[in-house]
Amino acid sequence: MPEPGFDYEACLTACAQGDHQALRDLYTQESARLLGVARRIAGDNALAEDIVHDAFIRIWTKAASFDPALGTARGWIFSVTRHLALNFMRNSARLVSISQDHEVASSGFDLHGHSGRIYDCLEQLPPARRDCLLHAYVDGYSHGQIAEKLGTPLGTVKAWIKRSLAALRECMG
Amino acid sequence: MNTSPDDNDQLAGEYVLGTLTAEQRREVEQRLAVDADLRLAVASWERRLLELTDLAPPHPPSTHLWGRIERSLDALDQSVPAASAPATAPSWWDRLALWRGLAGAGLAATLVLGSVLLTRTTPLPETAYLVVLVAPQSQAPGWVIQASSPREIQLIPLGVAQVPADKALQFWTKAEGWQAPVSLGLVKPGQRLQVPLDQLPPLTPDQLFELTLENPGGSPTGKPTGPIQFIGRAVKVL
Repeated sequence: MPEPGFDYEACLTACAQGDHQALRDLYTQESARLLGVARRIAGDNALAEDIVHDAFIRIWTKAASFDPALGTARGWIFSVTRHLALNFMRNSARLVSISQDHEVASSGFDLHGHSGRIYDCLEQLPPARRDCLLHAYVDGYSHGQIAEKLGTPLGTVKAWIKRSLAALRECMG
Repeated sequence: MNTSPDDNDQLAGEYVLGTLTAEQRREVEQRLAVDADLRLAVASWERRLLELTDLAPPHPPSTHLWGRIERSLDALDQSVPAASAPATAPSWWDRLALWRGLAGAGLAATLVLGSVLLTRTTPLPETAYLVVLVAPQSQAPGWVIQASSPREIQLIPLGVAQVPADKALQFWTKAEGWQAPVSLGLVKPGQRLQVPLDQLPPLTPDQLFELTLENPGGSPTGKPTGPIQFIGRAVKVL
């Protein structure tokens, strides 16, 4: 939930000009939520803190490349963090076998109390397909991990995700 | 390659959702730099799905995390102006093609060039291979490997890597066709390491090097078990 009155975009502009305090302000504002996002994907607190560290360095070095025409400044810092986390998980799967049991367990998803177009549209999907999308986005699970978690064949998971994305797009515009 | 708007949208959706493989993610990220349509499609998906981040419960960071970030900022502030200072000794360091081929191009090359020029006191030997090891997420360079002969390499720190007190950095390499990475020993943050490669086949282009976080005595299994801290591939220097 964006904090009303906090000017994310002004912070990014100031970061691009070398103002450490602006990054600090973003950190104070969002670090707990960003760490929450990274923890669910990394499944490990120490690794999630490394990811948030790298995310803030990237926000700092890339602040000038933020394009307000493409989205909000707050959305951008979440995207930076999520993609660092996803890249880390996918890249390290190549060489280092990551322990399957996540320290930060994925629980079920409780969509009640969350409002927004995306939640309305998700409600229209069959529950298993909705869970595919949420395990992917929130837990950073790969197709294979989702198949395992839900006990559903890999091909089915892939097809469900493809169709669910198309349905979401239709519903949200 | 011609891609229809639907293909682009599907790819962008799966990229933002997170279901692409490492390889596919790299391809998307390379295309994003040059493909405005894909950039728009990704931005639309980021916007559509952003509210789902509310499903991850917030978690307050440990008290030292900001300090770590600030130290990294200070290190960046110091290295960036140094990199833009004129280079006095023209050598293979100046060859653009070499740097273009390295991972994380822009920032990595600038920082490494800056740091190496600063710390360099003696003329460089004829170098056959070069590896820049970057942090997997930020692509920030942390170490350089120089191989002046195919039988020995030198691991040179560009800064002091942050390692938790109860962990150690372990150095690994893997060439094309090897079953698994081979340990090259433990590394102390901020210290050079000379590694003879006499038990291994000669270095090959694209050979993978990485530093992982392991227990103080090294990985108990003889294979990397901890997260990758730095990673890079060997580039042949002509």
